[in-house]
Amino acid sequence: MIRLTIDGIEVELEEPVTVLEAARKVGIKIPTLCWFEGLPPFGGCRLCLVKVEKLPKLQTACTLMSADGMVVETENPEIRAARRAMLEFLLINHPLDCPYCDKAGECELQDLVAKYGPEAGRFAEGKRRHPESFDDPIIVRNMERCVLCTRCVRVCEDLQGAYAITVTGRGAHSFVEPFSGGRYDCEYCGNCLTVCPVGAIMSRLHLHSYRPWFVQKEAETVCSYCGVGCRMVVQVRENSIIRTIPRFGLGVNDGLLCVRGRFGYDYIEQKERLRTAFIRKDGELRPVSIEEAIEYTAKKLLQIKDTNGPETIGAIASGRCSNEDNYMLQRLMRFFIGSNNIDSSARLYYIPIVQYLERIFGQGVTANLMPGIGRSDGVVVVGGDPTRINPVLGLQIRACHRNGGKVVVFGPSGGLKRFVPYELRPRDDEALLVAVLKALIEKKGMPGENKNLEERLKEIEVETHDVLREASIEEPLFDTLVGDLLGLQNPVVVVGPEVLQAERPSRVLFLVAGIVYLLGARVFVMSDRPNYQGLMDMGCLPDMLPGERPIELETFRHKVESVMGRPVPDKAGMNLFQMLEMAKEGNLKALYVMGDNLYYHMPDAEEALQSIDFLVVQDIFMTETAERADVVLPAAGWTEKEGTFTNLERRLQRFEKSRTPLGCMEDWRLLAELMAHMGDERPPRTVAEIWDELVQVSPLHIGINPREIGPEGMIYPYHGEPLRGVEGEFDVEALKGPYGGGPEGLRLILDRPLYHSGSQSRRSRALRSLQDSPVLCLSPEDARDLGLEDADMVRVTSSKGMLKVKVAISEDVASGTARLSNTFSEVHFSRLVGIRQDPVTTGGVFTDNLVKIEKLPSEGSEEVME
Amino acid sequence: MERILLKNIDNPESHRLKEYERVGGYSSLRKVLEQMSPQDVIEEVKTSGLRGRGGAGFPTGMKWEFASRDPKFPKYLICNADEGEPGTFKDRPILERNPHLLIEGMVISAYALKAEIGYIYLRGEYPYAKTVLEEAIREAYEAGYLGDNILGRGVRFHLSVHQGAGAYICGEETALIESIEGKRGQPRIKPPFPVNVGAWGMPTVVNNVETLANVPYIVEIGGEEYKKIGSPECPGPKLYSVSCCVKRPGVYELPMGTTLREIIYEHAGGIRDGRQLKAVIPGGISTPVLTPDRIDCPMDFVSLPKYGSMLGSGAVMVLDDSVCMVKVTWRAMRFFEHESCGKCTPCREGTGWLRNILERLEGGMGRPGDIELLQDVAKSIQGKTFCPLGDGAASVVLSFVRNFPEEFEFHIKEKRCMVGEG
Repeated sequence: MIRLTIDGIEVELEEPVTVLEAARKVGIKIPTLCWFEGLPPFGGCRLCLVKVEKLPKLQTACTLMSADGMVVETENPEIRAARRAMLEFLLINHPLDCPYCDKAGECELQDLVAKYGPEAGRFAEGKRRHPESFDDPIIVRNMERCVLCTRCVRVCEDLQGAYAITVTGRGAHSFVEPFSGGRYDCEYCGNCLTVCPVGAIMSRLHLHSYRPWFVQKEAETVCSYCGVGCRMVVQVRENSIIRTIPRFGLGVNDGLLCVRGRFGYDYIEQKERLRTAFIRKDGELRPVSIEEAIEYTAKKLLQIKDTNGPETIGAIASGRCSNEDNYMLQRLMRFFIGSNNIDSSARLYYIPIVQYLERIFGQGVTANLMPGIGRSDGVVVVGGDPTRINPVLGLQIRACHRNGGKVVVFGPSGGLKRFVPYELRPRDDEALLVAVLKALIEKKGMPGENKNLEERLKEIEVETHDVLREASIEEPLFDTLVGDLLGLQNPVVVVGPEVLQAERPSRVLFLVAGIVYLLGARVFVMSDRPNYQGLMDMGCLPDMLPGERPIELETFRHKVESVMGRPVPDKAGMNLFQMLEMAKEGNLKALYVMGDNLYYHMPDAEEALQSIDFLVVQDIFMTETAERADVVLPAAGWTEKEGTFTNLERRLQRFEKSRTPLGCMEDWRLLAELMAHMGDERPPRTVAEIWDELVQVSPLHIGINPREIGPEGMIYPYHGEPLRGVEGEFDVEALKGPYGGGPEGLRLILDRPLYHSGSQSRRSRALRSLQDSPVLCLSPEDARDLGLEDADMVRVTSSKGMLKVKVAISEDVASGTARLSNTFSEVHFSRLVGIRQDPVTTGGVFTDNLVKIEKLPSEGSEEVME
Repeated sequence: MERILLKNIDNPESHRLKEYERVGGYSSLRKVLEQMSPQDVIEEVKTSGLRGRGGAGFPTGMKWEFASRDPKFPKYLICNADEGEPGTFKDRPILERNPHLLIEGMVISAYALKAEIGYIYLRGEYPYAKTVLEEAIREAYEAGYLGDNILGRGVRFHLSVHQGAGAYICGEETALIESIEGKRGQPRIKPPFPVNVGAWGMPTVVNNVETLANVPYIVEIGGEEYKKIGSPECPGPKLYSVSCCVKRPGVYELPMGTTLREIIYEHAGGIRDGRQLKAVIPGGISTPVLTPDRIDCPMDFVSLPKYGSMLGSGAVMVLDDSVCMVKVTWRAMRFFEHESCGKCTPCREGTGWLRNILERLEGGMGRPGDIELLQDVAKSIQGKTFCPLGDGAASVVLSFVRNFPEEFEFHIKEKRCMVGEG
């Protein structure tokens, strides 16, 4: 116990902290500039000078550790004079262009000078000059304003782990610059501009467009890009978003954001937003009122239901829509159409991975908390690059490394390259997985907790040496890897979408599960949509009711029926693949698509969509799918409605409405209107009413009042503790072997890049300014073999088609694979491949992805880049 | 006094191992390895009362004790040869003419500390010393004074030269360590001190060249004998580098505590050109200036503070009556501004401001109130900076203004120098 006195107040400390933190504990705020919560102390600005009894000099409170018996004074004339002197020093080279500077009004330097002075400067000579930098498309740097607090450098190094900027030069000619000068070579997370106390690093997106006091409204919200669910605040003026800012101490992201979250919000205000409904008449989409479109849709759906039966109607839910939207969609399907044909693009990887793991380990196995990754002593990553798919989750992995943990990545380490002790690049990921699992079983023995799993684990028969040789993995490196894994006490496994991209996905997933089991790890599944978990929980599954209760269990069905007063269709519905297959056969008569661009991202969807008699698309843009619809309904987008998302750690988070959409309606309200036209006497008319019903229907959500969900969200019902020990049935293909010997040739796989995530990001001008055209990523080895250099134009040919694209050579690509993203309209992945459903996991496996790559003469480039 | 550190220095081949061995070199190391435990060496150095010669005068034995008690391994020994304090060139003869003395001192120290890796952090502007040191290290490896099995006694110590890139601040031990780690040369927060958390987070002893060069002699004659040399509170031989307006500038090895008067008038031959002594900077530019009435001060760590200054590096800069004190201050401030690392506000911004004002005074553009402004700015720096660099800058201004106010006032009133043609 440490006892000290600060400004006459007795402070008791359990653990030694700095005087600054001790003072904050008792509500005394010592002024600071370079200090920032969560960053290592720096001691440079000298504003936190305090007087300590018996010490002759003033001391910096941010670096001085509290000691028993210390007597500290934080304000007196001497201290005030010293602070004024420091501020006068800071101002001699500060341009004092406050009337022009965007930071004015929320500038820490300005606020401190207002408090401590000086009222006038005595510096009479010329200030240093340094040109403002517009080298970066979305960041502007004005180093004349910099006070060299180095918060940006420290956040970049210590929290983001990008190491992109540093202080160059010396003395008063020190400036914060990228190492090589010019443009940042970084992830554009923009966390440097969050922490900048002055106007030295700022966003270009809203440069000179507002003053901080112009902000009329702030709305607490959740990012609309990925499944991490970063909390942020949207600032609005005149119904238009000025900017998004994160708040330290709030949410899983604790003040950090990634490039998509911070800069990618402008898509929501693009001119191409749908402002009216459309109905196809005489082969053309004609604008109509929303009411007319809804009435027409209700009529058509009822007609098809009566004529062809409810099982000929299907719906696609959306990982971009809120829980309420998704709940209402399944409500429409189950109770007003009478069909369980509801699924979503989460079927491609998220649902199958989560459900498979749940079958092995029990429900809620992925309900682990993200900060736990940073606190774990080791992270195993398999199946994708978390620093791109879920960037802020990726930061937790970097934090684990910083805290001394081991990071092991199966496959190219990508954004974790600096954080892995060695890189494993097997020719065949599956072979490495089985070898590791086998070694773990041999060295660790079975834990004896999960009989089903252990029985299956015993079936694996492989000769480790052979497998390693096959996969070209050096044995010493393998031994190091296994040794590192065995040493972990508290590990985490992060699973990504690519685990399903194998000949037998269930086997890969099983091997991953085996590793999770033997390590006793907590498992996280990456999610590139904000609400994949939510749509599952809301019952947008063909075989599950809200709360993920199986339809075949009569008791659940009865419970729901008694609440709704309507029957629940008892036959499990069709999943995404089955619906598209039905459509191709001409048996799916109507499809209701909410917030999903099926045509764009599902290979081979064109034929299916064309065969559907009545296609309804409810979206915020005229997407490629909407262009083919019979009715298009304009939906309100992110921050235009209130609601909740459930992130990948199953944290239920509420977001507020920040602005009123024009000419469109919330997804759930469109659905409510539709149901009203289909015989619902009293559909829910508010989010609260949806919840009133939901809490009765879904056992997962009993007792939740969405209004009570605080800024930290609600970890429900698992409280961050998965329900373990539930042993379920699961299948796995060809477990015995053989292993190794992946497919020959160059395979095209889906890239999930940092700057883009799909239909949403490609409409963000900010994100397009960072990357405006698609690239085919190739490993250096393959590029060399093909005689290709960076930025060469190539023709990529598969059995499905051909396209021209620019090459980007990247070490983040495994040799034998080429990566192309699904993020630009003309050139994208799903045009080149096919897809099949894996019978065991029900996930999607891309097929026909063997490609031929030929170099094109460079003049062809313009035509393609259009 | 018999020369100890600069023994054999007049021999043109003194830097060769052969010549060093001829005058008894490496016999102390042999003695240590054969007869003494690491703790014995530390005790001997403690007994000797040796104090660090870099400027702060911290008891060397105590520093070693702290580092050797820290349970963390590996430990590092770093020789601070970043001799950058203006006026200081005392380490240079050791580095260039007697490198094996330093190497022997380092091996003995490393043995005492159980450090197996050592660096000589050499000032970037000493390229010749680098050549000499590297050749000497090569010779020492060959002769078995360095390596994995020193003198066949199973002692391991590896030594290399790390050349600085020209930053004065890297003479500050924590900035030096940052620089060795490949980082930007800026001081670290203390505590923790390098003896516990130094290079790569490990216990690290940073000693000045001259300090380490004293070690073989202490071992040779014993701490008790050594203590008899020079001042009782800080014994030993001391290298004084004397420069500016004296007849015989140079490095003088004299007992610690020799008076300034003796150094200037007996050893350095007095003031040149028949001029009068006006001021002495006794310990490098960062130490406060002394007026002629104070030159009976003994030059050691204990006495100089009583006379209002500090021993610093023992760089005696003698200024005669032809020198303009405003110009000296301005020139010094150009140095501090240029060398301020930029980490902390008062030093980064304040040194430039002081230089600006002094430049104005020197250029005949001074205004009434500038002297008060100078003092106010200097006081705002003093005691508030991250490391002592800023304090040094402030004390130069404050001591010159205090001791020679009339020259500053003259500059403001007459727009020219009080002395000389200026």
